[in-house]
Amino acid sequence: MLDPSLELPRQPFDLSGRLILVTGASSGIGRATAVLLSRLGARLILVARNEQRLLETLRSLDGQGHRIEPFDLTAAEMIPAWLRNLAISEGSIHGLVHSAGIHKLRPIRVLSPEAVEELLRIDVVAGLALARGFSQKAVAAPGASLVFLSSVVAFTGQSGHSAYAASKGAVVSMTRALSVEFAPQKIRVNCVAPGLVSTEMGKELLDTLLPAQADALRAEHLLGIGAPVDIANAIAFLLAETGRWITGTVLVVDGGYTAH
Amino acid sequence: MTLTSFCNLLDELFEVDEGTIKGNESLEALHAWDSLAILSFMALADEKFGVTLEPRALVACKTVPDLIALLGDRITSE
Repeated sequence: MLDPSLELPRQPFDLSGRLILVTGASSGIGRATAVLLSRLGARLILVARNEQRLLETLRSLDGQGHRIEPFDLTAAEMIPAWLRNLAISEGSIHGLVHSAGIHKLRPIRVLSPEAVEELLRIDVVAGLALARGFSQKAVAAPGASLVFLSSVVAFTGQSGHSAYAASKGAVVSMTRALSVEFAPQKIRVNCVAPGLVSTEMGKELLDTLLPAQADALRAEHLLGIGAPVDIANAIAFLLAETGRWITGTVLVVDGGYTAH
Repeated sequence: MTLTSFCNLLDELFEVDEGTIKGNESLEALHAWDSLAILSFMALADEKFGVTLEPRALVACKTVPDLIALLGDRITSE
């Protein structure tokens, strides 16, 4: 007979009965993540600015009880109260995925302070406000999990990416600090660092490169360019019981980009 | 944007003294039309004009007037 202390669940990825909020749910990785989490049984709160596109995501979800929540995350000072009100109306939240983000390829000679601030405002300022809001007693359910989106650019230099790298590197650092601060509350904090993924954002990046540069970038991803679901799978792993002993870490999902 | 303001932007991009670029130069003569300059010009076009330019079209540019042509009537004579 199997040793009961192994505690092996039948469905380790099951998210039935869990309420999960996903930012950036109107496209790309956020949308794929929302759909996957709904298939694993979670109830979703979909957040982005564009209501029409949120409704498109909503129609793609499995299960019942999901809602859309159009919100502009650049209004960071509003985030904690907004999250508290959401928890009052929907119940405490088991997971939060901050996948809203923007990408800017800017060689340093044309990098404006405004472009830097725009990147940091979503990744860092809104990210930390979400963490603050989520950690309120009335908001996060016991054993809750917070997942941020970093990037391989946080670890490997790429020309034209200094501001984006700074922002995504900050995400890794704040993930570590928050994991320590939130451990007493049993809130886990992790981030995923994707390589190039075939989202609108990924395609826009490829469009800004010369054909030879785009080919080289593709070749550096040993397993090819990723799909949004590849990142969604990693996020689900961190949110579900499978991630229960994981906090303060960064999960690189890049088709081998950083392996060489 | 006027041609003069546009040329001032190019002065900044190519890191030459203000007023150096007059609008009729060959890019080869500026010795700086490399991939980073092309990326920088694309970023400028995006930020200042809201235009997404094709990198291939920029590689084909040989002169400053070629760059101006890509931006069409967004650059006015004065």
